[in-house]
Amino acid sequence: MKRRLFVASATSSALVACSPIGTALNGSGFHRLLTVAEPLNHALIGTRGLAQIYPQSAISPDFPVNSLPTPSSAQYVGFVATHFHSYRLVVDGSVEKPQAFSLDRLQAMPQASEITRHDCVDGWSAIAQWSGTRLSDILGAVGLRKDARYVVFHCMDRDERSAQYYESLDLDQANHPQTLLALRMNGAPIPADHGAPVRLRVPTQLGYKSAKWVQRIEVVGTLAKLYGGKGGYWEDQGYEWYAGI
Amino acid sequence: MLDGVELCRRIYKYALATRISHWLWVLAFGALVSSGMQIFNATSHLDASDASDPAHRVLSIDSPVDGLGTATLFGHTFATTGWLGWTTDGIGGYAARAFPSWITIPAYQDLADGRRWHFFFGWAAVIAWLIWLISSARKRNLKEIILRPSDLPKLWPMQAYYLKLRKEPPPYGLYNPLQKASYTAVLFGLAPLMVLTGLAMSPGINAIAHPLTWLFGGRQFVRLWHFTGMILLIGFWLIHVFQVATQGIVNQLTSMITGWYRPEENQIVPGKTT
Repeated sequence: MKRRLFVASATSSALVACSPIGTALNGSGFHRLLTVAEPLNHALIGTRGLAQIYPQSAISPDFPVNSLPTPSSAQYVGFVATHFHSYRLVVDGSVEKPQAFSLDRLQAMPQASEITRHDCVDGWSAIAQWSGTRLSDILGAVGLRKDARYVVFHCMDRDERSAQYYESLDLDQANHPQTLLALRMNGAPIPADHGAPVRLRVPTQLGYKSAKWVQRIEVVGTLAKLYGGKGGYWEDQGYEWYAGI
Repeated sequence: MLDGVELCRRIYKYALATRISHWLWVLAFGALVSSGMQIFNATSHLDASDASDPAHRVLSIDSPVDGLGTATLFGHTFATTGWLGWTTDGIGGYAARAFPSWITIPAYQDLADGRRWHFFFGWAAVIAWLIWLISSARKRNLKEIILRPSDLPKLWPMQAYYLKLRKEPPPYGLYNPLQKASYTAVLFGLAPLMVLTGLAMSPGINAIAHPLTWLFGGRQFVRLWHFTGMILLIGFWLIHVFQVATQGIVNQLTSMITGWYRPEENQIVPGKTT
């Protein structure tokens, strides 16, 4: 009986052994093998379908703020004080006609509005109404060159080590009809904490793709040369670039 | 039906594909539970509401103040310091962390890495399931393991035997009626439920298959079902390991490695013998 108990407890502790074994494998060849799931997920799910649309009644009363701190630079404080009068959204890179869009110009373009769910990678969700310009309209206005593969969003927020937030989408994701440069949240201009004046909204992917405080959109052929080379602030810290799952 | 000569015979019970799948599941189950707890730690509560209404909070694991860990289930709060809420952080200290470092992969808080482990072993578990299903279907072995209506009257006699309320178990085939019930529930109920709820949590899948997420009641409900499924699977696993350890552990483990199994006296089994 003692042997049975020993074997039973040894087998049960197999679950507990997973943690130290898994941790010890960090940086090993096996650990690198784990990344094969991302291309599989990307191939399986891709960028198809439309995010679920919710009724007005589903809007979250309290939308969490979970990002880098709201920018505190002199430039951003000045933007807020002047209602973003001097703010320009620069769109350049592999485009035919690089341009700088004022808020007035963005607002004068056709506006889309959608009540969608924001899915944080942490596990929580929140629902809000987002209105603004379709990213595909902006890309259409500047015209993509043949070498264009990715759309990169340079943002105004910085972490405590002064690293700049950025994100990227491929052209399928960028031209998705629900991918917006949101100017309004729940019927009012986006509050500073939620990314004023322009926040990317990608409701078919996890929340870290929906970059706040977008200042420059750069169209590129490869992500390897920008920042940490993985295509996003969180991606450079190990999160998957494909954020549909 | 069984005479003395047959008592020491052995039968080829587990096909190679079944054995490979079984041990892949052992690996995948450990990695999925551990990395799943790592993922849970990033938002350590479960809501029965997509609006994240605290009034509909089912489970919440918190640290109200440093040094104190609590778990609140259906509004009832328990002090769980050291086990849940305030736990080892995997880098030498304690922190406000739902599940402790000795059960999460990696030990320290790293959501990105936990997700990588989870998705890899999610695929591994699905592939192992498909290998087992296709192989068993081709060999016509599924009928041995799936619970049938004719097994239902034998469920209680089998349980009574385990509880020592009855001297003899009822006659059965390769698997006893309780094994059939639990294996059928896990392989065709819980396992698909875990995959479907895992997928339904993802915004990309939600965009492709709205009814899937709707069916489970929304993304936060999906999270709740996924977690509940894990608890049920851990329950199955505990009973399974206990049974293996107490019902002839050498015979059980040997058979899941070599395939050859020495049947119980009351088992009516066809097939090859040694």
